[in-house]
Amino acid sequence: MAIHERSLVEEDRILRKEKLVVDGIDVSGDWNLIILPRVIEDYDTSFLDEVLKEPEGKTILQCYQCSYCTASCPVHNYWDERYNPRHFIHLARLGLLDELQKRADVMWRCVSCHKCTHRCPKGVLVEEVLKAILRVMARRGLIEEYPSKKFDKFFLDTVVEYGRIEDGELLFGWLEKQGYKIVKDPILRKPIPFLGGTPKWLKDMVKKPIKSMNISFLMLNAKHMLFHPRTKNWNRFRQVLRKVIKEEAK
Amino acid sequence: MIGKRVAYYPGCSLEGASRAYDVSTRIVVKELGLELDYLEDYNCCGAMETKNVSFMGTLLLNARNMSLARQQGHKAIVAPCNGCSFSLQRAEYFLETQDGLLDKVNELLKEGGVEPLDEIPQTYHLLEWLYTEAGPEKVKERTKRPLKGLKVANYYGCLYTRPHFYSRTYSHKGGEDERARPRRRITADDDEHPFYMNALLEAAGAQSVDFEPMHTQCCGGPHSLSDEEVSERFVKMILQTAKKNGAHIIATECPLCHASLEMYRYRLILKGEKDVDVPAAYFTQLLGIAFGYSASDVKLQDNLSDPLPVLRSLGLA
Ligand code: SF4
Ligand code: SF4
Repeated sequence: MAIHERSLVEEDRILRKEKLVVDGIDVSGDWNLIILPRVIEDYDTSFLDEVLKEPEGKTILQCYQCSYCTASCPVHNYWDERYNPRHFIHLARLGLLDELQKRADVMWRCVSCHKCTHRCPKGVLVEEVLKAILRVMARRGLIEEYPSKKFDKFFLDTVVEYGRIEDGELLFGWLEKQGYKIVKDPILRKPIPFLGGTPKWLKDMVKKPIKSMNISFLMLNAKHMLFHPRTKNWNRFRQVLRKVIKEEAK
Repeated sequence: MIGKRVAYYPGCSLEGASRAYDVSTRIVVKELGLELDYLEDYNCCGAMETKNVSFMGTLLLNARNMSLARQQGHKAIVAPCNGCSFSLQRAEYFLETQDGLLDKVNELLKEGGVEPLDEIPQTYHLLEWLYTEAGPEKVKERTKRPLKGLKVANYYGCLYTRPHFYSRTYSHKGGEDERARPRRRITADDDEHPFYMNALLEAAGAQSVDFEPMHTQCCGGPHSLSDEEVSERFVKMILQTAKKNGAHIIATECPLCHASLEMYRYRLILKGEKDVDVPAAYFTQLLGIAFGYSASDVKLQDNLSDPLPVLRSLGLA
């Protein structure tokens, strides 16, 4: 017999018997599959309270578990069934933190496509709520550093520093954080894209404008990599940003 | 309805790697008799990343840009990037629906040396603006070299139509909070079946191929660098569907989607994947070509996926 939402049930809770007799009645065949019950005695709502304190977390209370979000989600459909926004919301509301932790390896994989938020009939800001859940989990030490969190932080730091981002720096800075050996010029310490451990696809990609002699494109991007684009009137504003971000991190 | 002259928020990408989008946008806008007023000294919108770290910080980044638009006398901002328009519209939503937030933000703006907001300007995606203020007729009128024989897969990505709270593509009556209720903006595209790009390119003589549901399937977006496995799978689905449905080219309207498609196209080809070689071009580049501009005018040589050969084979470049 098929199990509905199979990804939510752990292997060791599923029992399948060749021959099964219950109260003297032989129920082998179609009824030979049992999912062992789970008993939960105490709910801890302090986790939910913390999510509710996040500015984007408030709408979590409106969820009525219809699962339209999950049905729409590309990470659920095309990557891993265990990624299940409806279920994450359910677990967060009940405060079943160990259950949430079991899914920590997929929870960060939301690509922010907002199909969930768009289609939710109850007006839950699903994507934002999930991000709030992740943030609270991180604050409580329930989830280890995950790649997208490192990237978000890296991105924010650049914005706060310069006011603008620069694609080349973002790309190579990120690769370097991933452990790729990026060769840099000795004077300005800027990456040289087609040398060293730069991945092959990227070398190929960078070679395209070189091969086609697209000089103005190369010059523009080289200029940006050497002199990071900046917002001019930024110093005072940057201080306020830093202050606000620090307060929020508390 | 939106205005012929609006504030232009190009966003960081369009000043660098995606300059082709910026250049071709300016050409198209001029040809269609509209006007963009560049937002001087703007800052990054925070994209899809900073919001995951700091709510207030992200709000402030966008409020600063809104304030610049107000200083230049605008009520409408146009952004050509899905991420930028998302960020500005998201800020709009929270500022309008949460009590006391605008006052708090204004105080912080003042503290940072930025004029506080006297009103909240509305943000539109470039596509929404072009369709509303110029529309297919105007495009047809301007077309000198129809894109005959060009089969296009129109790729809208995620945030152009989603979520309705921010992009205002949908309305419904439910919800407890009256102000936070989804309200469709009259100029907005259809939420699940967007067609503005199809309509504009068809008016320029191109033929749209069937592309649903990949037309709004995510390319990996903010995770295109941090989660390569998932992004690669998504892009593969998008490219292969385009190929299967007979597209010569994928038309894009977001620099991040565009970069993601081109980047993973390289990787997939290198891996020996089949049917992933459809190149990408910004819809404004294609419109520019139709308006009689040359391939180098719209900077087609910048596109890393190289759509030139296919356009040449159809006599369009
Ligand atoms: S679509 Fe909305 S109401 Fe339904 S399960 Fe998801 S969050 Fe809950
Ligand atoms: S935003 Fe995240 S959770 Fe929502 S549908 Fe997209 S990937 Fe799934």
